[in-house]
Amino acid sequence: MTALATAPIHRIATTARIHAANPWTILYTPWLILFGVFALNFAIWHAVLIGAGDRPLAPDAFTTNGGVTYIFVYMVVVAVQAMNQTFSFVVGLGATRRDYFGGTVLVFGALSVVFGVGISLLAWVERATDGWGVRGAFFAPGPLRTEPIWVLAVMYTLLLLLMFFVGSAVAATFVRWGANGIIIFFGALALLIVGVVYAITVNGGWEAVGRFFTTHSMLGLAAYTIPVTLVGGLAGFLLMSRATPKG
Amino acid sequence: MTAVIEVTDLARTYGKVAAVADVSFSIEENSICGLLGRNGAGKTTLMRLVTGQEFASAGEIRVFGEDPVENAGVLARTCFVRESQVYPDGFRGKHVLKAAAQLFPNWDADYAARLVAEFRVPLDRRMKKMSRGQRSSVGVIIGLASRADLTLLDEPYAGLDAVARELFYDHLLKDYSENPRTIVLSTHLIDEAARLLEHVLVVDNGSLLMDAAADDLRGTAVTLVGGHNAVERFASGRPVLGWESIGGISSVTLTGLSDADKADAAAAGLELAPVSLQQLIVSRTRSAQEARS
Repeated sequence: MTALATAPIHRIATTARIHAANPWTILYTPWLILFGVFALNFAIWHAVLIGAGDRPLAPDAFTTNGGVTYIFVYMVVVAVQAMNQTFSFVVGLGATRRDYFGGTVLVFGALSVVFGVGISLLAWVERATDGWGVRGAFFAPGPLRTEPIWVLAVMYTLLLLLMFFVGSAVAATFVRWGANGIIIFFGALALLIVGVVYAITVNGGWEAVGRFFTTHSMLGLAAYTIPVTLVGGLAGFLLMSRATPKG
Repeated sequence: MTAVIEVTDLARTYGKVAAVADVSFSIEENSICGLLGRNGAGKTTLMRLVTGQEFASAGEIRVFGEDPVENAGVLARTCFVRESQVYPDGFRGKHVLKAAAQLFPNWDADYAARLVAEFRVPLDRRMKKMSRGQRSSVGVIIGLASRADLTLLDEPYAGLDAVARELFYDHLLKDYSENPRTIVLSTHLIDEAARLLEHVLVVDNGSLLMDAAADDLRGTAVTLVGGHNAVERFASGRPVLGWESIGGISSVTLTGLSDADKADAAAAGLELAPVSLQQLIVSRTRSAQEARS
């Protein structure tokens, strides 16, 4: 019994189950909000159609939409919130930080697949119904309209993984150094971004940057997130491995 | 006898503040040890260090012979319950017990259910909405039902009423005799818990002040009451822990009296009164403080 209970897989699964004990934050709420955002967009499309009356609309009038990006921002918040709350509880009750992180990674991975595949299936419905009957594009807007569904699934899953793992680094920063840590973290991030933008401009590199985005496929671009995701996860793990539970 | 906890020259500093300084002790297997001291003395930090939740600045900790930090084998046999345990938002009592059932290999679900009924814990209530006593009850239930080889209870019954506290003492003693394990209990209610304790560690200002068997301590100090002159004559040259005078009557608390000394005191017309563990620790802590300042 003890041997089973202390097997690494069991210990990691324990953390995963504790994350899932209250599925609202990580599972139900994000879907509800996503459907809510979609419903609002759908209502706006209809209002525009009614307002337009007999006047013809451009065929791509409802295809530029950023509503689905909400889910990516939300998942960073979920990562920070879930880790901040469960770390002190799980490690406080006697789990190792390693097992805690393993279970958390498992949950983040599963959520990325569930949301990535789920959104792609909704994109498939969107295409099958001629854009929800109004030629709208919400789940695969703009340039994504022509991508195969499986490409959407891989791309969304990779992007969500990026959000979760960068989120885990932000969460670890918060768990270890509190609000001050977050201020310094985002201050440093802002400096880095401005520095990169400055360097690109000074060296006249924007054309090359544009070429990078136009010559790579969606899949290729999504693949570039993998190293960043790994670095984020590693940073989260290293920071977490020296964190102490609150209370 | 095997030591479950062995601490050598342990220190934990936060900036310039020494929360724990140069502490060494060991705790034997299958005993109940009281970890006593004032607020901020370093009790919680010590327990967090022993359970690998805090990192030592210096010194060595061995739990079941191994370093507890990130040691899944050691931590699975260890249960640490504290008053200030943090619970995730939205977690209800039942979620907490479910998590505990998964984390502790020896968890006894039937026993936990019986304790829930006896302590009257509203399992469907969110932890945040529970009263302090109800939250403490959840902690106490985890501490008992986890049946961990090493159980550390940090102020486990803050906010509990007298009935619930008695219930806890009774359960602890009964379950301890049926399922022997090593228990470390920190508390402010020393006299209440005194009957449970086999060993006592007293910390003050981050240092270890006392490390003794409870039975030895109980016999070490006596209060003598009598006429001022008689008391002064007897006490001179002996280690005095406390002194009080009202009118011509004085009372003095002394340590290290042999049976012969006690007979002498009685012959000198002095009245002997036993000193409770709590009084002893209070006066020891005070005299340590006076010695420092």
